[in-house]
Amino acid sequence: MPAATDAPASLRELHFDDGLPGFPGDRRFTLTPWGAEDSPFSVLQDVDDADLRFVVVPPEVFFPTYAPMLADDDAARLDLREPEDAIVLVVVTLGARPADATANLLGPVVVNRHSLAAAQVVLAGQDVPTRAPLVGP
Amino acid sequence: MLVLTRSMKQSIVIGTDVVVTVLEIRGDQVRLGISAPRSVSVHREEVFAELAEANRAAASPDAGSLDHLRDLRPPPSRT
Repeated sequence: MPAATDAPASLRELHFDDGLPGFPGDRRFTLTPWGAEDSPFSVLQDVDDADLRFVVVPPEVFFPTYAPMLADDDAARLDLREPEDAIVLVVVTLGARPADATANLLGPVVVNRHSLAAAQVVLAGQDVPTRAPLVGP
Repeated sequence: MLVLTRSMKQSIVIGTDVVVTVLEIRGDQVRLGISAPRSVSVHREEVFAELAEANRAAASPDAGSLDHLRDLRPPPSRT
């Protein structure tokens, strides 16, 4: 099903049943807006490990044509019935300079906004990069 | 690693409820069917590894890197 995107709404705890690829034991994260009022970024902070966090952003801010299609199994696993049930965020990798920042479009973080169940899903069969530049060519 | 040899249509069971079946063998490609409960995700290993690598690169940016976010603004939209 297509996933609608939206700005993250709260500080409550997201639960990742399987953690994230590379971080399978990290299950509980809070989502906190980062920066000034006009900043689209948030920080996904591991509740159980103060040292682990990820920067995330709603994909439509920098990638207006990005249209992630969730596999039925992924939607079912998160109990998503309507596109509006989902919040979609992409993980940002920062580099040496601001212009080096990239987003992972292959593995968006999808959250059920009602239950706060979350997962990083793999967009199988969709030819999207793990490191798409946010700005610049 | 456990190594098993299977022929066409034979299966293996992982845990109590994940079943992998050899559906077709054609040249050097094997078509596998995976039956698993909804709660278990299944991925091609190389894709999963790519995601894990991307997550490791993205994890825990330092304060200096976070400051870059102030300078990141989307391109102006055309109306």
